Amino acid sequence: MKDTIVQGLQQAYLNLFHMIAEFLPRLVVMLVIILSGLLVAYALKYVVRAVLRLTKLDRLSEEAGASRVLRMAALPSMTEVLSRSVFWITLLGFILVGISILNIAGLQEQISRLLRLLPEIVVAMLILFLGLVIANFLSRAALLAAVNAGYASPKMASWSIRFGIWILAIAMALDELGVARQTVIAAFSIVFGAFMLGLAIAFGLGGQGLARSFLERSLGEKKDDKTNELQPL
Amino acid sequence: MAEDILLGDDFLRQLMSVGEVDLLVAIPTYNNAGTVAQAIQAIEDSYQQNFVRDRVVILNVDGGSTDHTTETILNMNGRKAGAHRGITSLRTVHRVTTQYGRTPSQGMALRTVLAAADLLRARSCAIVSPATTLDSSWIASLLRPAYRQDFAFVAPLYTRTKFQGLLARNLLYPMSRAVFGLRIREMYSDEWGFSGRLATQCLDQNLWGDEAVRARPEAWMAVTAICSGMKCCQSFLGPKAPPPAGSGPDIVETIRQTVGNLFWCFETFQDHWMDRTGTEAVPTFGSDHELTAEDAPASQEKSFELFRIAVKQLDDILSSILRPDTLSQIRKIAGVEAGKFRFEAELWVRTLYEFAASYHRTVIARDHILQALVPLYRGQLYSFLQEHRASSLEEMEADSEALCLEFERHKPYLIERWKAKN
Amino acid sequence: MALQDDNLWYKDAVIYQLHVRTFCDSDGNGIGDFRGLTNKLDYLQELGINAIWLLPFYPSPLRDDGYDISDYTSVNPTYGTIDDFKTFLAAAHSRRIRVITELVLNHTSDQHPWFQEARSSRENPKRDWYVWSDTDNKYHGVRIIFLDTEMSNWAWDPISKSYYWHRFFSHQPDLNFDNPAVREAMWDVMKFWCDIGVDGFRLDAVPYLVEREGTSCENLPETHGVIRELRKRLDSAYPGKMLLAEANQWPADVRDYFGNADEFHMAFHFPLMPRMFMAVKLEDRKPIIEILEQTPQIPDTCQWCIFLRNHDELTLEMVTDIERDYMYDAFANDKAMRINLGIRRRLAPMMENDRRRIELLNGLLLSMPGTPIIYYGDEIGMGDNIYLGDRNGVRTPMQWNGGWNAGFSSADPERLYSPLISNPVYGYQSINVDSQRRSEHSLLSWTKSVIQTRNSFQVFSRGSIEFLSPSNHRVLAYVRQLGEEKVLVVNNLSSSAQAVELNLQSYKGHIPIEMFGRNLFPRIGELPYLLTLAPYQFFWFRLRRI
Repeated sequence: MKDTIVQGLQQAYLNLFHMIAEFLPRLVVMLVIILSGLLVAYALKYVVRAVLRLTKLDRLSEEAGASRVLRMAALPSMTEVLSRSVFWITLLGFILVGISILNIAGLQEQISRLLRLLPEIVVAMLILFLGLVIANFLSRAALLAAVNAGYASPKMASWSIRFGIWILAIAMALDELGVARQTVIAAFSIVFGAFMLGLAIAFGLGGQGLARSFLERSLGEKKDDKTNELQPL
Repeated sequence: MAEDILLGDDFLRQLMSVGEVDLLVAIPTYNNAGTVAQAIQAIEDSYQQNFVRDRVVILNVDGGSTDHTTETILNMNGRKAGAHRGITSLRTVHRVTTQYGRTPSQGMALRTVLAAADLLRARSCAIVSPATTLDSSWIASLLRPAYRQDFAFVAPLYTRTKFQGLLARNLLYPMSRAVFGLRIREMYSDEWGFSGRLATQCLDQNLWGDEAVRARPEAWMAVTAICSGMKCCQSFLGPKAPPPAGSGPDIVETIRQTVGNLFWCFETFQDHWMDRTGTEAVPTFGSDHELTAEDAPASQEKSFELFRIAVKQLDDILSSILRPDTLSQIRKIAGVEAGKFRFEAELWVRTLYEFAASYHRTVIARDHILQALVPLYRGQLYSFLQEHRASSLEEMEADSEALCLEFERHKPYLIERWKAKN
Repeated sequence: MALQDDNLWYKDAVIYQLHVRTFCDSDGNGIGDFRGLTNKLDYLQELGINAIWLLPFYPSPLRDDGYDISDYTSVNPTYGTIDDFKTFLAAAHSRRIRVITELVLNHTSDQHPWFQEARSSRENPKRDWYVWSDTDNKYHGVRIIFLDTEMSNWAWDPISKSYYWHRFFSHQPDLNFDNPAVREAMWDVMKFWCDIGVDGFRLDAVPYLVEREGTSCENLPETHGVIRELRKRLDSAYPGKMLLAEANQWPADVRDYFGNADEFHMAFHFPLMPRMFMAVKLEDRKPIIEILEQTPQIPDTCQWCIFLRNHDELTLEMVTDIERDYMYDAFANDKAMRINLGIRRRLAPMMENDRRRIELLNGLLLSMPGTPIIYYGDEIGMGDNIYLGDRNGVRTPMQWNGGWNAGFSSADPERLYSPLISNPVYGYQSINVDSQRRSEHSLLSWTKSVIQTRNSFQVFSRGSIEFLSPSNHRVLAYVRQLGEEKVLVVNNLSSSAQAVELNLQSYKGHIPIEMFGRNLFPRIGELPYLLTLAPYQFFWFRLRRI
């Protein structure tokens, strides 16, 4: 009996040793991949940062209003955000590749799913970013136009546009990621449709008189404005 | 070298027939069939009275009229009724017409004119508007300085009523004068003159893609002349007639075009104006500008309201453009009641210079910066009208000059803001 | 004996204008004469002209270059005798050259026996042959023609103690054409010369024949009556003779002098002449086109006479003030070049001796509708002398060669009636017939060739004219047509090369044949016909449809 136990233990330790011996090289490879990934990620980060600085992306982002949003979210500048994103995405990629070397069952599939998702994540981030920029630009344009035209609630117009474009951008990003696609499309249609319907009802039924006088005022005012305005040049 | 892409075969053929000219008067048109005939007649009268021996051409550049404006021009009979002995003018007066595009654009119209002037080696050119009731003496006043005395740019000078042209008087003139150093009153107008040499120089600068040039090219030509060291002058025309009520762009569009162009000029020519100090008068032909009396206009309370609302609603935007202390001063005066409201000159000057600097740095979209200026201008306009409703003409002129000096005094501030990083 | 063949000969004429005094001196007295002229007829025949217009050669005190006549039916002895004239006439006719002389109807010299009689007393039968008045207030406001020398149209006669009327110099009293005797006397003069064989008369100063109170005393209906009467008698007694009117008026006013083909056969087109110069200087066809547009149609048997220069100043009466100022600035900057209302210079100096411009103007002269007149010496590019007083600067001796007195006379140079042109540019040593005859490419040779080409085609003399209107105003283009004969004339009035597109659709299918070199040009098609011309170049194309 004693011999069996010793043999069994010896076998177990041998198996463990074999397992470790088998696992260690893969671990080393994984570490090497991750290490090189780290180096590549850093290099890419610096390259991207340098390129973005050359293209004055920060200024563009400032102009588009995206920088302000980033500041509000306590995030660094756009160049920094993008270059860091590139760093982390690259590193993540290498880590995923490294992990896949370990050959741990079940993990492979998840890793390849994650890898497949990466481009879509990037596109979704881009859609969100663009949506942010466009929303900011258009809402500011609307605000200025409404203020200069003397409309009663310029901020309402501005926020409506900003909100609308955000909704659209989020829906598009989620759609891109394939997250709860049906739900998102349905929700988007409902929200947007409801918003439009609400406006229509407000103007058409509940605010007939208001709508009428608003339109009359806005058209009439424009003419009056022009005839009353002094010749500037 | 002339731009040949924009010259269609038919236009080129017409230019070939004309040959070298001494004088070229151009009329940009767009659906002006009702008024263009009087303009053409005025030009022909001017040629016959003042330039009878010179080689001349009338050039119409049309932006795609649908009311047969060009046919109206071509079908006009040039000969004066009753002339039956001898000839009315020594030389053939050519009328050339061309369509430069499907939609009207001042810049593209001018580009076509400059190309023609270059090819025809015109010595002196003038641009006139078909909507203005032209006097033949105006044409001569615009052409002579470049033709006989080698001036490169000839700005018009008008008799204005008290409350006419306040954007020019309170913003465009004093600001451009302070920055570029020459006292040209009317850099933004529908009539001006220039030499063939300036035409060629402007044509060679390939800036036609820029919206600022396309909208108000005349000021760009003036600034080009100034910064190239060419001679500029002013020539008195007469009373500036107000446009028909309700016509023309609104104040937002006007500021977009004129102030946008001005700020763009600051940027494009920044190497030339930073070191300039002081201002010089330019030679003036004919009378000096004049102010004539006018009844006080209807109350502009609406302008003040728009100013007040804007200061509140555009706070975020204004804080991107203006410095905190300037903005807080504006907030303060926006809180004052209408009767006591005053937009002091110094504040106005600093505001404008900060806007210019922000435009240069593109803190937000440039068009938005210009639009944000509109309500502030409205405020300043209201303040001006309050102050000068009952002023005499002399008082108004003195105030105008004081404002100009204020702009000049604060030029170092503009330079400081221009160079600042934020 | 007169040439009889064609009553419309004047339409096909190329007239050479000269004064016998200036042309050739045969007897060594320093003044040209008829014998000398006769000796030079071969030259004129060679040149290709077929009519000579002789300036007045009658006895005269010569205070107005012979236009002050003291005897209508004789020859100034300085120029020869009546027999010399007849010999000259016969020699000219034998070379098929017609001769046109002057008939100064309007006035005589105050040395004329008629005037001597008329002034002798108020009762003299010839008193009424002139226009007299006790005061100088009559015909008030009538313009003075010789502005530089005359202060009034009336002159005081100390002998008969009254005023006499003179539209020209004060020594040229006007005849009174209200008097039938005067009309008869002038008809007798005409008959005298017609009987000798003269082919035509240039009637000097015709607008001024008759005066009426309250009028301009020019172009009056009564004047036309006088002319009609003369013409009727001439046609009846001497068919084929020609009357040429000197009426310096607007074309519309000259038109009346053609009447219904019952007054003058020809008249000078004065207003066209300065405009040809103007057009070349301005480099713009407008002056020519406009004056021709104002020129009315004339009867078929009538003809305009066109010219570049003549013995008088280049008149600027029939131009506007603007045009006159321009002409003065362009061609007579030196005030010494101006006289009365005109410019006393020759063609070549006005063209700054630019051969191309001289040729262009001659090309215009010989291709435009009308009978062309060539002033003597212009065919070799003679110069002028503006310091010779009056209009004498353009009346200097003809330059035949580079030798003694330019071959004009064997007399001492000091004896010549006028000094020769002797500067290095226009002097007789460089500008003369003999040296130009030696070269095929001289101005003389060129003129000969162009006259010959013109004479070969009647379309130039009798054809219609249709102006083309190319958009290039520096090109003057027109088509002459007579029956099926068509000639396209294209002139570049500019000092720089030009391109021109001509609308020749009506002549589609025709082949242009350049008339001097006889080379073919591309056939005329649907599209505008493109031509390029060198500075001041002109083309004559015969348009043939084959």
